[in-house]
Amino acid sequence: MEKGGTIGVEKRMRKERGMAGSNEVNLNECKTVVPLNTWVLISSFKLAYNLLRRPDGTFNRHLAEFLDRKVPANLNPVDGVFSFDVLIDRATGLLCRIYRPATAEEPEPNIVELEKPVVGDVVPVIIFFHGGSFAHSSANSAIYDTLCRRLVGICKAVVVSVNYRRAPENRYPCAYDDGWTAFKWVNSRSWLQSQKDSKVHIYLAGDSSGGNIAHHVAARAVESGIDVLGNILLNPMFGGQERTESEMRLDGKYFVTLRDRDWYWRAFLPEGENRDHPACNPFGPNGRSLEGIKFPKSLVVVAGLDLIQDWQLAYVEGLRKAGKEVKLLYMEQATIGFYLLPNNNHFHTVMDEISEFVGSDC
Amino acid sequence: MLRYDSTSSSAGSSSGSLSSSSSSSKPPQQDIDGLLAGAGYKVRSSELRQVAQRLERLETAMGNSPADFSQLASDAILYNPSDLVCWVDSLLTEFAEPPPTCSSDFIVDPVNNQTVVNSAWTTAEPHTPQVHQNITYDEQQSLDNQLTVVTAMEEDSGIRLVHMLMTCAECVQSGDLSLATSLIGDMQGLLTHVNTVCGIGKVAGHFIDALSRRIFQGMGGGSVNGGSAFENEILHHHFYEACPYLKFAHFTANQAILEAFDGHDCVHVVDFNLMHGLQWPALIQALALRPGGPPLLRLTGIGPPSPDGRDSLREIGLRLAELARSVNVRFAFRGVAASRLEDVKPWMLQVNPKEAVAVNSIMQLHRLLGSEQTRNSPIDTVLSWIRGLNPKIMTVVEQEANHNQPGFLDRFTEALYYYSTMFDSLEACRVQPEKALAEIYIQREIGNVVSCEGSARVERHEPLAKWRRRLSGAGFRALHLGSNAFKQASMLLTLFSAEGYSVEENEGCLSLGWHSRPLIAASAWQAVPAWDNHMSSS
Repeated sequence: MEKGGTIGVEKRMRKERGMAGSNEVNLNECKTVVPLNTWVLISSFKLAYNLLRRPDGTFNRHLAEFLDRKVPANLNPVDGVFSFDVLIDRATGLLCRIYRPATAEEPEPNIVELEKPVVGDVVPVIIFFHGGSFAHSSANSAIYDTLCRRLVGICKAVVVSVNYRRAPENRYPCAYDDGWTAFKWVNSRSWLQSQKDSKVHIYLAGDSSGGNIAHHVAARAVESGIDVLGNILLNPMFGGQERTESEMRLDGKYFVTLRDRDWYWRAFLPEGENRDHPACNPFGPNGRSLEGIKFPKSLVVVAGLDLIQDWQLAYVEGLRKAGKEVKLLYMEQATIGFYLLPNNNHFHTVMDEISEFVGSDC
Repeated sequence: MLRYDSTSSSAGSSSGSLSSSSSSSKPPQQDIDGLLAGAGYKVRSSELRQVAQRLERLETAMGNSPADFSQLASDAILYNPSDLVCWVDSLLTEFAEPPPTCSSDFIVDPVNNQTVVNSAWTTAEPHTPQVHQNITYDEQQSLDNQLTVVTAMEEDSGIRLVHMLMTCAECVQSGDLSLATSLIGDMQGLLTHVNTVCGIGKVAGHFIDALSRRIFQGMGGGSVNGGSAFENEILHHHFYEACPYLKFAHFTANQAILEAFDGHDCVHVVDFNLMHGLQWPALIQALALRPGGPPLLRLTGIGPPSPDGRDSLREIGLRLAELARSVNVRFAFRGVAASRLEDVKPWMLQVNPKEAVAVNSIMQLHRLLGSEQTRNSPIDTVLSWIRGLNPKIMTVVEQEANHNQPGFLDRFTEALYYYSTMFDSLEACRVQPEKALAEIYIQREIGNVVSCEGSARVERHEPLAKWRRRLSGAGFRALHLGSNAFKQASMLLTLFSAEGYSVEENEGCLSLGWHSRPLIAASAWQAVPAWDNHMSSS
């Protein structure tokens, strides 16, 4: 099935965007659209990130690592999920954290059991790329450890979270290369194969920059003839050279500024490139249509209060025009990071959709 | 619908679990926001509004010139980011006026330190190099060949080896020594199929030896560390040189001690295990360079007695004195010879009530955790007299591992995981002569954990979370190591070591690990004053 999309959601989206439009948003209003603890969390990230980005384009990596809250892997199942770290490429130090459901028979796996074959006719394996605008966070950041654990539960999947190299120390294409390395590694693990067809059933997922990486790794996968069953993009990070309406309307209103977005693209893209580089703008003037290419189905989540939503919607449009199956979830009153804490309706809606998206495999 | 209840399932948040295979069931703390706890932040629900207000104030203060704040951030020292209230407050004091007594939203304060000029742009820090080339291309090639070429058969044999080790350990625990013995034989055979130069083969060999020793000498056998004090010192020195763990320990402790000694003219460091005194030249030099001049420094070094008439403690003391003299630091040394730390009595240290005291324990406290948990166990006694000295600071560095569990199999499993990681990290360090002896140093530790029992088993490592509880319960409170110590530790790593080591901050303590597994943790403590009745919260 190549055509798709949810016309209903789209219509609702266009209607509601027309109705929104108040420019009189200040800090107070920002606080009214998210729960207080979410506001505190995202604001403290915003604050910390402001300290880390230097005007000359360098990044205070030491302070970033000091401030980032990390959690170790845990072989003891917590809520039915255990995790362990694997070094999959010594040359680049590429680590992945693997999350598996604990089975009833082996409630406490020992180190020998880690790579025991998965059991099941169909076992989805989700390769997850954490967000952070290409510069922040790690696979062992607490917020992403939490998110990955949840994905295991709702999708009955194995989740492989990739600790890709970050900007500005490592620009394009390092993150994509690491994603590709991880993809090949996952695809070649016999213990991750579903029993039905002795193949690894791979989904790619990511939020923010991770969503962007997921797209590009999927593109590379199909080019290499390896199947990807689906892409899950949460507030994916895309952009372009022009300033769009949503960027101007929402600049600085909900935790994010255009200025910081620009900084991150400058940090990630090759020096001298602008935001119409295909990494940033895959369906832009330098992009490439996916027409005729067997690209996986996509679930794209867009937050209605995210200033880059025009680019995200353009991405969805680009997929549609090329005849690719895509479901858009437009979460009208959602801000960035809404999926980090389970204290809002958007969160639960999206988790249900993800569960269905992965579960619809047979 | 899946409901996430963070308080009962904090998968590793805050102090619950630096150790990866111990279960982390932290008792739910009153009023702590469970969702933020899952994200690594400790904030009371009742304080959320307060934190939000302060964040807003900071935002307003930063609003005018956000670019300048990254420069200020480079110089600011931040502490304990998990404690959001504290962290935001420390930023506020850096960047804005202290809060007025009445609180209201949207207060605009003048910003202190508005001396940052655009020339800050030209003095930006260089990138920290991501890849540190400290070995030659040829060496790297040969290392790569050793490390990355693992045939399918080897990988298979490696896994079988681990299986057998676990089974053997299980047999030992259940007392089936004959099966255990035959497994030893099988494993030794299997070792011939596995690369024992690196990877699982190398560490497996040491564990097989240790199990073998345990089986053949019976329970409660003599100390496997048959080496003399002299030998141990040599091995220790090589371990110090070959990999960054001890350097990290010394460096972090010295940093904290230096800060604690600020403003004091007479200072006294008590080192629980002097060895070759490798930690102290750096401190002596740092004190020499102190603005306002160095204090009078006394160092009391504790160590085992030298059997052959040498006084090795005194020899080290003399060398340090020589160094101190060369940098004009008034220095006095005293050696205290004791076979065990619990034999040391506080009067032997001759602490003067007027001096600022630092107690320094690098991987020594765990030796006091003998299996009998009686009321006046050695650890309690020693912690009690340390507290009696009222030190300005007590620096504690310990292996980040749970090697003191009562069940043998649990201990064995944990040790296998821990030392595999450590050996892995050692392999990545550049090829050098010190490595071989450093490995023997580690091997002896393994031997003690696995094949010794009772008073002979001294390597009773416990994770930071346990030490926190123990020290808090003994009347100490944590002094937080800050972002400056973190930064300098990270920079030290890039200077001395291979890629793959990482420093992590965990509620005021720093740990050094290999690829996200912490292996050694450093913390700093102070005695809670006797009249202060509430225990420090963890």
